[in-house]
Amino acid sequence: MDTQTKIGRIDLKGAEITFKAPKGGKIEALAPTNLVIEAGSFISLIGPSGCGKSTLLNAVGGFVPLTAGTIELDGEPVTGINPDVGVVFQQYALFPWFTALGNVMFALKRFKTSKEDRLERAYAALKEVGLEGREKTYPGQLSGGMRQRVALARVFVTSPKVLLMDEPFGALDAQTRVAMHEILLRIWEAHRTTVLFVTHDVDEALILSDRAHIMSAGPGRIIETMDVTQERPRHVDNIGPDFLKARNHIIRLLRQPSAEDH
Amino acid sequence: MLEAFKKVGQLVLSLSGVVVIWSLFANSGFISQNLFPTPGQVWRAAINLYQDGVLMSDLHISLTRAAIGFSIGASLGILLGLLTARVKIVSIALEPFLNLLRPIPAIALVPVAIVWFGIGEGSKYFVIAYTVFLAVWLNTHAGASEVASTYIRAARSLGASRTREFFEVIIPASAPAIFVGLRLGAALAFLSLVAAELSGASAGIGFRLQDARQFIRTDRMFVGLIQLGILGALLDAAFAYTGRRLVHWENA
Repeated sequence: MDTQTKIGRIDLKGAEITFKAPKGGKIEALAPTNLVIEAGSFISLIGPSGCGKSTLLNAVGGFVPLTAGTIELDGEPVTGINPDVGVVFQQYALFPWFTALGNVMFALKRFKTSKEDRLERAYAALKEVGLEGREKTYPGQLSGGMRQRVALARVFVTSPKVLLMDEPFGALDAQTRVAMHEILLRIWEAHRTTVLFVTHDVDEALILSDRAHIMSAGPGRIIETMDVTQERPRHVDNIGPDFLKARNHIIRLLRQPSAEDH
Repeated sequence: MLEAFKKVGQLVLSLSGVVVIWSLFANSGFISQNLFPTPGQVWRAAINLYQDGVLMSDLHISLTRAAIGFSIGASLGILLGLLTARVKIVSIALEPFLNLLRPIPAIALVPVAIVWFGIGEGSKYFVIAYTVFLAVWLNTHAGASEVASTYIRAARSLGASRTREFFEVIIPASAPAIFVGLRLGAALAFLSLVAAELSGASAGIGFRLQDARQFIRTDRMFVGLIQLGILGALLDAAFAYTGRRLVHWENA
């Protein structure tokens, strides 16, 4: 491992999040969790809704404060929203009043470099996601997949230490989703940013990540961790017995809580 | 293109229908033509007023009043709306007061305005600005309060300062609601303009209506009413058009 991949390590130490319930009680959205996310790795969080996967992601992003414990990014405690942590939301996070280029430029504005330099970087970022020639287009005129490509360009252009993705491809159709996986992995391999990827799609998690954490609700917690060792590139149309075994195992795990309910 | 033709056709058809029915009714003898003039009489009254020069000067005076009152009210409304929606201390200080102002109709302010600003232009600006302000403030406030939290999270996680967040996110995100307020405000500006001109003015469309009453000139009154109708409709269309242009992403 070279030194570059040492940036972007996340440490959760007893991180716990409780919300006030409407009737005065407390909801434990995330039970005390210890977790180490290695710098440069691609990590998925899978689980049913209410399992705390988005809460965990939002806590790393500094959007939701912890009730107890700490989260550290490269040894520094996370205390709030931090531009070193990039976020790709499920939808509506592009600014519709700016063009694709304007959206990417928005992210670059905090750097006090010349406008020419920022423009050059913005054009390069849009080219990297395959949107050359679409720079002056408004998000409303782009397809769902293209919008998320702009979102990827906007977040990768500043080379964040960590990238948080909350079901970013959930609203896309199957073919577009496969194309987005390829683009995401290509850019990730070029930048080697730590990625924390929330999904409820088991295949998506197994195709993308180095390691998947399976979560369960009531209280939200990690119930199992699974390393995905299969070589990349991985494709849904070319899956081996290991992939199937892992997939079946995770799906069985995810089915258990609802079985207990009956 | 075909759409535009259809719209113009519909307009011509609807208006000629109204004129025909109006003409039949006025000529039927049920009602004295002094009380309900024919389209021809109204047209001649309009020509007369035009030749006297009052038609255009009234129009100019009324439009100037509406424009100045609107500008004052709209700028204050946008400014305060953004502040009451996004700055806690301003909202605590002003919201209850503004909510008390809301039910007070503009007409009720005319006597106060005349005492404060005299019978001249000042009182007109005040009454119009007040009406426009409330409409614009209310809509701006609603729009700026409901800016999607994803936009704000995205802006902050992309390292935008609070100032940039305000100008590059909050304001454009509220723009559609601000335009609704401005369009409503423009319509209301005409309402309060006439209210202000009916009592205590020496020129303007509202004054001309009141003046015609002294001589029971219903034909002239109709000219004034039609003027107000056409002006209002044109203005509304202009606002709708500009709004669609400026807030282009809303209809994308």
